[in-house]
Amino acid sequence: MAENIKAGNASGRTPFSLRLSVLPFLAKYGTIIGLAIMIAVFSFLAPVAFPTVSNFVNVLNQASLGIIIAGGLTVAVIVGELDLSIGFSASFLGVLVTGLMVWVGLPVPIAILAVLLVGAFIGFINGVIVTKIGVNSVIATLGTGTIIVGLNFAYSSGAPIAMGVPDAFVNIALGRLWGVPHNVLIMVAVIAILWVVVERTSIGQSIQAVGGNPVASRLSGIPVDRVKIIAFMICGACAALTGLLLASSLGSGTTSAADGYLLSAFAAVFLGSATLRDGEFHILGTVFGALIIAVGFNGLAIFGAPTFYQYVFQGAILIVAVGLSSLGRLYAAP
Amino acid sequence: MAETPFIEARGLAKHFGGVQALAGVDIDIRAGEVHGLVGANGAGKSTLIKILAGLQRPDAGRILIDGNPVEIETPQQATALRLGFVHQELHLVPQLNVLENITLGAPKPTRLGIVDWRRVAVDVKSIADRLGIAFPLDAPVTKLSTAERWLVSIARALVRKCRLMVMDEPTASLSEVESQRLFQIVRDLAADGIAVLYVSHRLDEILDLCDRVTAFRDGRRVLELEGQALTRQALVRAIVGGEAPEALIASDAPLSREIVFRADGLRRLPMVKSVSFDLHRGEVLGLAGLVGAGRSETARMIFGADRPQGGAMMLDGKPFRPRSPVDAMEAGLGLVPEERRSEGLILEKSLAFNIGLTNLKALQVSPLLPLLRMGKRASQAEALVRRLLVKTPSTAIPVGRLSGGNQQKVAIAKWLARSLKILILDEPSRGVDVGARAEIHRIIRDLAAEGLSTIVISSDAEELPGLCDRVLVMCEGVITGELVGRGVTREAILHASYAHAQVQKSA
Repeated sequence: MAENIKAGNASGRTPFSLRLSVLPFLAKYGTIIGLAIMIAVFSFLAPVAFPTVSNFVNVLNQASLGIIIAGGLTVAVIVGELDLSIGFSASFLGVLVTGLMVWVGLPVPIAILAVLLVGAFIGFINGVIVTKIGVNSVIATLGTGTIIVGLNFAYSSGAPIAMGVPDAFVNIALGRLWGVPHNVLIMVAVIAILWVVVERTSIGQSIQAVGGNPVASRLSGIPVDRVKIIAFMICGACAALTGLLLASSLGSGTTSAADGYLLSAFAAVFLGSATLRDGEFHILGTVFGALIIAVGFNGLAIFGAPTFYQYVFQGAILIVAVGLSSLGRLYAAP
Repeated sequence: MAETPFIEARGLAKHFGGVQALAGVDIDIRAGEVHGLVGANGAGKSTLIKILAGLQRPDAGRILIDGNPVEIETPQQATALRLGFVHQELHLVPQLNVLENITLGAPKPTRLGIVDWRRVAVDVKSIADRLGIAFPLDAPVTKLSTAERWLVSIARALVRKCRLMVMDEPTASLSEVESQRLFQIVRDLAADGIAVLYVSHRLDEILDLCDRVTAFRDGRRVLELEGQALTRQALVRAIVGGEAPEALIASDAPLSREIVFRADGLRRLPMVKSVSFDLHRGEVLGLAGLVGAGRSETARMIFGADRPQGGAMMLDGKPFRPRSPVDAMEAGLGLVPEERRSEGLILEKSLAFNIGLTNLKALQVSPLLPLLRMGKRASQAEALVRRLLVKTPSTAIPVGRLSGGNQQKVAIAKWLARSLKILILDEPSRGVDVGARAEIHRIIRDLAAEGLSTIVISSDAEELPGLCDRVLVMCEGVITGELVGRGVTREAILHASYAHAQVQKSA
């Protein structure tokens, strides 16, 4: 019963009970504290390898692609829907972009633009299935995601496309500007754009409104279906960008290269909702969430932890993330 | 008065953040009495109820039952102490039938560990008969009317053999007839020795029903009255903290002005059979009738939320066929829906967000660039908050934190950011205290004076006289009465509300 816990509301200023004041605080700032603790512990345990500028740049670089795909997912989640197709979609589009260059011979910019459009189109299809047919978004995107896996195998026969990938394409991800990897710069630009779109534009306000209360939004003159479709398209385009940057980093289009981004993106989005706001999804929170995950993986790698720890870490962090997120919402309930 | 009250609260205090919801209140309720509790929204009534129900813990104070101190930490303890609650929003499980809802969570007779539903049904049947429940116990609750769901909720408390029954705004969504039936049930419960705490904004029914009345204002008990001392004026003074603003006098002047909107034979079965009327410029047109008469459905058609199956509409002399709320808004219409929490507002978003929502295009830096001017959004919201006297510390807090009356003002404010021709308000003062209601009426009259045409839907026959220039009464999907100027009286409205399909016209 939600009312039970409402006693803890009180804007976190109930001085009478430790439990009542500590939990809301943790739900709001726990992720930031967690990130700080993680950095402190890793720095202490691995003073040579971890706390160096090059390692931090390395972590940011590794986190970039995850942040971009998670940023897109955040938009879908804000509008009140889930998109499970993003990982498969990113994998497929990474294969497609190399295929378009190597097999079709399209110039690099054209191939990139085409793939971004295909990503947005996949989002469009997801949105149409969810809004016009009324399929629950979990089911709809699980379905489209699986179809995309099939398309991917059909297109590439499951073999990586590695030969003949243009250097210009590989340099996108591997190059640096003023010592900063391109991926990081692209990520910062994408996050800036997403933040402005969500927080400072009319479509962003509509996305937030629809996620908050679709009925009230409709009666306030917001075209609910169109807004949801646009949110899916933004999400799809971000997945495409992650897929093609990954292909660029790897120097090849690999069939299931980006599948793993799905879980970490969800963990980042939910961790983010428990950051600074009361269980509300937002772009900057997602960046924080993704950084926590990246720092965690980096720490595991530095200590040479066996692979299975990574899975344990990933699963645990997803549960902690969603748990913190719902705690935040409970305390925010008016 | 030597008898010990069934339940007493002494010095209850509770604060939320900086807000003192209860500042040390006392109340005692005797067995067999109907005890009224009145107060403006935010006066502390709901907090008291939540404390009694074990949903919130008081910061200070104690509760005594039969003179013995008790602790109520969970809803289960409240039930064990035989306290029963019928909350404003009825929490029924839609998948379960009437019987299952009534006995949900209550101990049931079993045979070999399996619930013996036949015996349960026999037990419940006697309670159902006592309440005059006529619908079958195996009916799904989704098929029940609001009034019938109330009966289910009352039965749920009775099955647990409650000695105190708390009813929060029971008549807010009931028609006049259903309310009368509820009153009889309340009197019967009291006659059986149950203590009833009856919370309502409707002073007439409080005066009619209650033996004693306690009034809260700003978290304090400001009045306790019984017998001859119990008068409407005394209650209003206690609630408002001063004399009530006098009723507004409407005029029939706008009826000579040009017609802004015309509905001709609007139909959408089963609720709306045929509705035709004119709306003049600057007119306040009331739409009265019982719950289920088809008024909200008519409003939704005008606003483009539903499509008519037949009939036509004209706006400014031109055919008007809104295909969506967007169309209606672009034509200059606004709707403040009946369910403001679920349909009118986005509760977890700020006042500025909600007010800006209907007006996003105008807040853009340019029509082509969808960037918003956040400063303009904030200043626009602040101007409207000041104009409508919304009580809030800032326009940046979530609108869900405001009291009902202030939420309603925000639901109105979001339309005033646009240039409107017609504003439809569906039950604008439901669940709103006397003071806020008078302010909302003042806002409506002010808007009319500026030339805005408004349609006010209300099930409360006392609300429309004095507010409206003209009142149409609907009954079962058709208009059964038209009352103008001084002819707008409570009696005339009620008379036409029960006309049941025999169309009649009054001068």
